[in-house]
Amino acid sequence: WKEFVWNPRTHQFMGRTGTSWAFILLFYLVFYGFLTAMFTLTMWVMLQTVSDHTPKYQDRLATPGLMIRPKTENLDVIVNVSDTESWDQHVQKLNKFLEPYNDSIQAQKNDVCRPGRYYEQPDNGVLNYPKRACQFNRTQLGNCSGIGDPTHYGYSTGQPCVFIKMNRVINFYAGANQTMNVTCAGKRDEDAENLGNFVMFPANGNIDLMYFPYYGKKFHVNYTQPLVAVKFLNVTPNVEVNVECRINAANIATDDERDKFAG
Amino acid sequence: MSQQTPEIYSVELSGTKDIVKTDKGDGKKYRGLKNNCLERKKKNHKEEFQKELHLGLSSTRAAELLARDGPNSLTPPKQTPEIVKFLKQMVGGFSVLLWVGAFLCWMAFGIEYSSNKSASLNNVYLGSVLVLVVIFTGIFAYYQEAKSTNIMSSFKKMIPQQALVIRDSEKKSIPSEQLVVGDIVEVKGGDQIPADIRVLSSQGCRVDNSSLTGESEPQPRSSEFTHENPLETKNICFYSTTCLEGTITGMVINTGDRTIIGHIASLASGVGNEKTPIAIEIEHFVHIVAGVAVSIGILFFIIAVSMNYRVLDSIIFLIGIIVANVPEGLLATVTVTLSLTAKRMAKKNCLVKNLEAVETLGSTSIICSDKTGTLTQNRMTVAHLWFDNQIFVADTSENHSNQVFDQSSRTWASLSKIITLCNRAEFKPGQENVPIMKKAVIGDASETALLKFSEVILGDVMEIRKRNRKVAEIPFNSTNKFQLSIHETDDPHDKRFLMVMKGAPERILEKCSTIMINGEEHPLDESTAKAFHTAYMELGGLGERVLGFCHLYLPAHEFPETYKFDTDAMNFPTSNLCFVGLLSMIDPPRSTVPDAVTKCRSAGIKVIMVTGDHPITAKAIAKSVGIISANSETVEDIARRLSIAVEQVNKWDAKAAVVTGMELKDMSSEQVDEILANYQEIVFARTSPQQKLIIVEGCQRQDAVVAVTGDGVNDSPALKKADIGVAMGIAGSDAAKNAADMVLLDDNFASIVTGVEEGRLIFDNLKKTIAYTLTKNIAELCPFLIYIIVGLPLPIGTITILFIDLGTDIIPSIALAYEKAESDIMNRKPRHKKKDRLVNQPLAVYSYLHIGLMQALGAFLVYFTVYAQEGFLPRRLINLRVEWEKDYVNDLEDSYGQEWTRYQRAYLEWTGYTAFFVGILVQQIADLIIRKTRRNSIFQQGLFRNKVIWVGIASQIVIGLVLSYGLGSVTALSFTMLRAQYWFVAVPHAILIWVYDEVRKLFIRLYPGSWWDKNMYY
Repeated sequence: WKEFVWNPRTHQFMGRTGTSWAFILLFYLVFYGFLTAMFTLTMWVMLQTVSDHTPKYQDRLATPGLMIRPKTENLDVIVNVSDTESWDQHVQKLNKFLEPYNDSIQAQKNDVCRPGRYYEQPDNGVLNYPKRACQFNRTQLGNCSGIGDPTHYGYSTGQPCVFIKMNRVINFYAGANQTMNVTCAGKRDEDAENLGNFVMFPANGNIDLMYFPYYGKKFHVNYTQPLVAVKFLNVTPNVEVNVECRINAANIATDDERDKFAG
Repeated sequence: MSQQTPEIYSVELSGTKDIVKTDKGDGKKYRGLKNNCLERKKKNHKEEFQKELHLGLSSTRAAELLARDGPNSLTPPKQTPEIVKFLKQMVGGFSVLLWVGAFLCWMAFGIEYSSNKSASLNNVYLGSVLVLVVIFTGIFAYYQEAKSTNIMSSFKKMIPQQALVIRDSEKKSIPSEQLVVGDIVEVKGGDQIPADIRVLSSQGCRVDNSSLTGESEPQPRSSEFTHENPLETKNICFYSTTCLEGTITGMVINTGDRTIIGHIASLASGVGNEKTPIAIEIEHFVHIVAGVAVSIGILFFIIAVSMNYRVLDSIIFLIGIIVANVPEGLLATVTVTLSLTAKRMAKKNCLVKNLEAVETLGSTSIICSDKTGTLTQNRMTVAHLWFDNQIFVADTSENHSNQVFDQSSRTWASLSKIITLCNRAEFKPGQENVPIMKKAVIGDASETALLKFSEVILGDVMEIRKRNRKVAEIPFNSTNKFQLSIHETDDPHDKRFLMVMKGAPERILEKCSTIMINGEEHPLDESTAKAFHTAYMELGGLGERVLGFCHLYLPAHEFPETYKFDTDAMNFPTSNLCFVGLLSMIDPPRSTVPDAVTKCRSAGIKVIMVTGDHPITAKAIAKSVGIISANSETVEDIARRLSIAVEQVNKWDAKAAVVTGMELKDMSSEQVDEILANYQEIVFARTSPQQKLIIVEGCQRQDAVVAVTGDGVNDSPALKKADIGVAMGIAGSDAAKNAADMVLLDDNFASIVTGVEEGRLIFDNLKKTIAYTLTKNIAELCPFLIYIIVGLPLPIGTITILFIDLGTDIIPSIALAYEKAESDIMNRKPRHKKKDRLVNQPLAVYSYLHIGLMQALGAFLVYFTVYAQEGFLPRRLINLRVEWEKDYVNDLEDSYGQEWTRYQRAYLEWTGYTAFFVGILVQQIADLIIRKTRRNSIFQQGLFRNKVIWVGIASQIVIGLVLSYGLGSVTALSFTMLRAQYWFVAVPHAILIWVYDEVRKLFIRLYPGSWWDKNMYY
């Protein structure tokens, strides 16, 4: 075996002579260099087919998903009223999440739009013209806005707020020119009982058309998604309650069995 | 083996012991058997014996003995139980790895389930799929093997034999299985000896012991005890040999497995079955691949754990790596490929019993061939004639079509008359339409030869004999050494009798005083006698059996028409005859053999003749078929040429050697090795079956792959010991066929050469198949490695990999088996068992690190294209894995700020799998095309010559389309409908693969022996 590592007779190291090793190294250097170049080239060519501001295909995103905040593991919001720590991180997250929605920031960056209709911004011949976004003020969330709220979005009093948002999809005209709103209900009958009453902000869970369409993060820089806040007023404590919220819009299917989060 | 060897010798030595053993076992009544046998000539027990002879055994006693000893038949060699064979298939090869993978899957699920009740069932599915794959391939391999074994068993024909036995003092015909020790049996000419019997009385009996001892001469049998060794003594006939003529009455002394033949047969099954070279190669290959799989798996397991992945996830990665690395379909493909070749070979009269033997023949470097029947036609044929002081050559080809010697001489007329008349052989009736050479004849070998010879030349021999009515006859016997008959002549005016005589030439010459030359009688003087001796020696030197012929017209006045000839009193002259001529006979070589031997030569295969026949005959045949080539000499030849003593010749000057069994007996194994290594052309003559085994072992010590041909039971140990035993289909005994790996249906040596060719081709093609299959493993493996290290969403799923390995790639890899040879494979040396591996380093490196890597890059290109065009640019994908796979993250942002739910992402992931799959598929087509050749350009080989390749490509595409578009909606399979244009993304890479390989082959052809050739030619 020693001979295998270094064979003094034939001057072979690991079964090859120095020249042979040099050839091998050189060969693989050139070969892999060439392969890398080839791959880079083809990747570059491929990336030329992709535009900067809209993806080529959106067939997988026909239905935008709904998502809640606070975002937690398995989407269970567990609140123990007396234990500050159990909801403190939710509150921190929500504070951070809602910061861009502060009225001052919104007023500074975004336009006030006419409600009830899409805020279309065609390029008008200017390629990739930067787009403006509509204001969604934090105060619109009413009791759930958390401004000057000693109850910390209701978590300290057992009346938690949960925020519902609709996934962004580029050039998607949600609602097909009709009003849409979010509704929530207990998943099963006993859930509904345990759930008790809740209030929604903005009223009825309405989402205005003026927040659509979305033009992509590159040109629609300050876009703020519309939110719907749900405040559960008297949830039965110590019981797991399954809540199901859905969006009622003309062009959003909500009955996909495989993807529960679509719509 | 070392333990077995002495036992084999013991067959020869302990023959008498057998009888002793039987004696001991047989109880009181038969204790005297041996003594009986030995002392019988003293005739002490003659009366008692006679009584026994007439009475036979009582049927009750016979039944008792039958119950004790079992039936008189050979127990077939022990078969491996079917279930064991099946289970072997289940755990052999890669199956172990897949079992481990499956159990890891279930374990992973178990762990996950215990912590989270809603754990996904994916791992359970995957585990089950893996087990299904193992079972499926196992069943398939088992089925293939069983099928090829079945060909063999249907081939065996069991003809129930009857034996004529005296029981209860009555002659009965019973099935020979029911014979017991002590039975008195009667056997007549043409019958098979039903057991080992001791001859009590016989009439002109001769037996054919060739299947047992290899002696082709018929052996006389009588009641005399002539030798201590039962194989040599004249009063024992052996089970399964044939009685050619005469009748015997004898007592059964051994039955079933206790017979001599039973001993040899059971020894044969004791000789260990060596692993076939291809089995070793495949094992080697499995080790390489399994080694790579396990080491990469473990390496990345460690990397994954140290990168803070959960152990459970790391285990799942491990499974993915194993599955990607193991070519699941390959072993099944190899089996199919081998059985396809086996079928092809069966068409060319090579029936392969053991699939793996197909390739063994291709790597054969030494063929130890039998003489009789394999190299020769196995029938005596007139080869030369000598009359008028001239030697004439007769046509010895299979059909005797053109006899070209001068038939105008009047000496020939006389000679032909003697040949025709002094002959007792006759055609069996009812063969009018059979060609002369194929007609069955009653009579011994030389008389048959003469009969057929004269029938071909003269026409209806029977008619001639009728016209020359025979009046007296003395048949051949060993004391007279001549045969004589007296006939009326066919000329009605000639009232003389014609006496014709044939026999051993020197005896015949003694009886002659004149010699016929050109039809004239001349006195026999010194010079003619000398001419006779020269001719006699020359023909004898050719290894031919020479007969002398003479005649005499008896003067009509001394022997009138009414003269009574008395063959006992010999009332007629038997001297002062007229010598007519000599005629020599030989078992001539088959016409196809010399060509086949030349082919073997050029293919680097050494052909050694091993025969029980006489050295001179053996050498003559060896010379005529080219085993000893025309210009090479043996030590003896050199000695004769230089007129010096044999001892003075430098042994290594000679190229050829003729070694007899006697010489072999005194040699040490080193000396045998020396002979085998130093002589190119070797003939072993007068060898015993045991020596045949020694020769085979000697060859195997030279690292040679040895093929042995044989037909007799005595050959079966050597057949078994050989790397590939080749039995004769027509002449072969069942024992030989059982021990062999292959059966030549036409008993023709030339068929072996065809087999060698097929075997070599299949080795080359298997290389191509394996190279093709291994290539994509890298393309399947890279995704997992990248996934673990870079954190891309998984590019290809385990199930998808299985669809490649067991779906799209199967038919193409089988199609490579139909590839034609690149160059004349019969012009190169046989592969070296240890150096020329099936899977060598260049093959693995080239498949894995060159083409495999190119393929992986191509497939990644398709993958990235799909993701980028859906919104995830490559940059965004890096390290996305953790977020991507979280079930509760339903708003994952892509490069454009869009948000994706988990299911939307999963669907995209499956599209990614499909894209990667298609990428591999497209490039595997290129891979398939480049694998058609290893050295030549594809265009030299012809792109369209192998149509099956195109069937393979079509199948690949169709299966791909069905999976993507047909089953795209079945989520469990994780295929999606892929946009048509993605099928073409990898095409540039596929073309690159083709171009690169053409360049590689070009350099190999341009610079043979260079660094490039050594590292790039697999």
